[in-house]
Amino acid sequence: MSAYRANAGYWFVAPAIILMIVILIVPVGIAAFLSFTDYALGNQGFEWIGLKNYENIVTRSSYNKMIWASVTYVLVVVPVSIGLGLGAALLINSVKRFGDVYKTIYFLPVMAALLAMAIVWEFSLHPSLGMVNKTLTSLCGSWVEGFFSWAWLPWADPANSWYAHGCKNGFPLWFGDKNYTMGTVAFIGIWQAFGFNMVLYLAGLTSVPRELYQAADMDGADTAWDRFRLVTWPMLGPTTVFVVTITTIRSFQVFDTVEAITDGGPSKSTYVMMYAIYEKGVQQNLMGVGSAITIAFLAFVLILTMGQRYLVERRVHYS
Amino acid sequence: MKHAVLILGALIVILPFYVMTSYSLKSPREIETNTGGFFGAQEPMVNEYCVKLGNPREACVETPFIFNYTQAFKKAPLLRYLLNGVIVTASIFFIQVLIALPCAYALSKLRFRGREFVFSMVLFCLLIPVHAIALPLYVMLGKAGLTNTYAALIIPWTISVFGIFLMRQFFMTVPDDLIDAARMDGMTEFGIIWKVMLPTAIPALLAFAIFSVVAHWNDYFWPRIVITGDRDLYTPPLGMREFKGDADGSIWGPMMATATIIVTPLIVAFLLAQKRFIEGITLTGMK
Repeated sequence: MSAYRANAGYWFVAPAIILMIVILIVPVGIAAFLSFTDYALGNQGFEWIGLKNYENIVTRSSYNKMIWASVTYVLVVVPVSIGLGLGAALLINSVKRFGDVYKTIYFLPVMAALLAMAIVWEFSLHPSLGMVNKTLTSLCGSWVEGFFSWAWLPWADPANSWYAHGCKNGFPLWFGDKNYTMGTVAFIGIWQAFGFNMVLYLAGLTSVPRELYQAADMDGADTAWDRFRLVTWPMLGPTTVFVVTITTIRSFQVFDTVEAITDGGPSKSTYVMMYAIYEKGVQQNLMGVGSAITIAFLAFVLILTMGQRYLVERRVHYS
Repeated sequence: MKHAVLILGALIVILPFYVMTSYSLKSPREIETNTGGFFGAQEPMVNEYCVKLGNPREACVETPFIFNYTQAFKKAPLLRYLLNGVIVTASIFFIQVLIALPCAYALSKLRFRGREFVFSMVLFCLLIPVHAIALPLYVMLGKAGLTNTYAALIIPWTISVFGIFLMRQFFMTVPDDLIDAARMDGMTEFGIIWKVMLPTAIPALLAFAIFSVVAHWNDYFWPRIVITGDRDLYTPPLGMREFKGDADGSIWGPMMATATIIVTPLIVAFLLAQKRFIEGITLTGMK
């Protein structure tokens, strides 16, 4: 009888095993293999070129810009979207009314197709037609300009402020000016991601036992900041580890906004890794370099996830 | 004070949704001059394209929002794109369940040699993001002659190691007595999966369905890679991108209408069943 069940077991796992091997494990091997060649789709053979592809990634300036762009994006989006997510969760948790309404609104970007919303953002930030610059321009000379050019601060020089500058010389070309493009793309990434982080933190907050706050209170933790520092933040440790990992992996994978709006430009300032893989491998049919970037990418992800698992096993909280 | 901060945040979050909906209702002139309020004045406008085709001006007068939405469907086969989106997301989910449920059942309730090994293989595969290995998959599909087919859109997603992991965790909590009773009744192991385990797993399965459908309806990266040129296979995001590719400035209204149409189904479903959606999307939090 149990032999029959064991047999059934093999039949049940067989399709999954085959697919895991063919779709997930073999491709990693293929990428590793191709990364040492100059293979192109459609060619009969290929040359074995050793570490040349990896060497290029390390030495050529366009690939250095790629790593730089990816790392910048991640270093901006991860902390800001997590900070905003945590802030939103704490605020929503502390208000008596409308908490659910805010939660629903903040979660909307997570549901919407990023590609479509990227195009809408691009349109909203269009230098002449876009709503954002039009609104900024129409507020020039009003109290808003006065406020944001910091005219009310004694030490500020309003004529030299960002806002006054924009009123005089026009507001930025968000996606055309390389000083702004990465920031604007990262802004869209944050806009999309922080609601997701907020929901994870809200779930984490429900698991913080009430008694801990009372205990902290008795030990003299009076201010909200003390309560946060001594109870909430440590108790959210596991959530934070998870949120950091998943946001980082997702940010490394940014593609939609870059492909739809900037094409990696201007002057490669938004040339992120996924876009590089697409451009080198699919558009230019340079499979060797594309595969080498793929392997580098997988290495990043592996290190991150291993780090996360290590921290989780160390149980990053104080209970 | 707290509400002021939260409301400010909400306004920024909503801004693109506002722009999208509002501009999908306005005439080109209103978009250019930023007038007309949220709904636009809906004054009759002349469809210049229709005039260029040689029709008299009087025959080309339309209401802006009707113009935008009909153009969205006329300029590109949007209906076809939506249908493709439904076919692809539904097939992916269906096959994922078909593969994952038996595997999860075997891993949680059947004893056989090598079970631990299979499970550690699942855990290992959880580390590999499918988007990251797009290039080798693309080469493999190209070699098999499968690029520009539905198969290319579906095959890489047929195995959801996350689905296996999730369902296994859920099945671990199902009491063995339930399964033994079914065996007493003479049910086969295969029958048990679909007639006993599946019904108990509906909540977990629903959460997984939401997770899977949202991910694949919105996915742009993968279709972009394997579908080149054949418009009949475009998924909604790909169609939207194509629309933008040959936009000529006056087309913003219809384009925003297209965006609205693509985004609306999931947003409406989310608003109707928020708890379930948030649960489903954050499922990954259980890893």
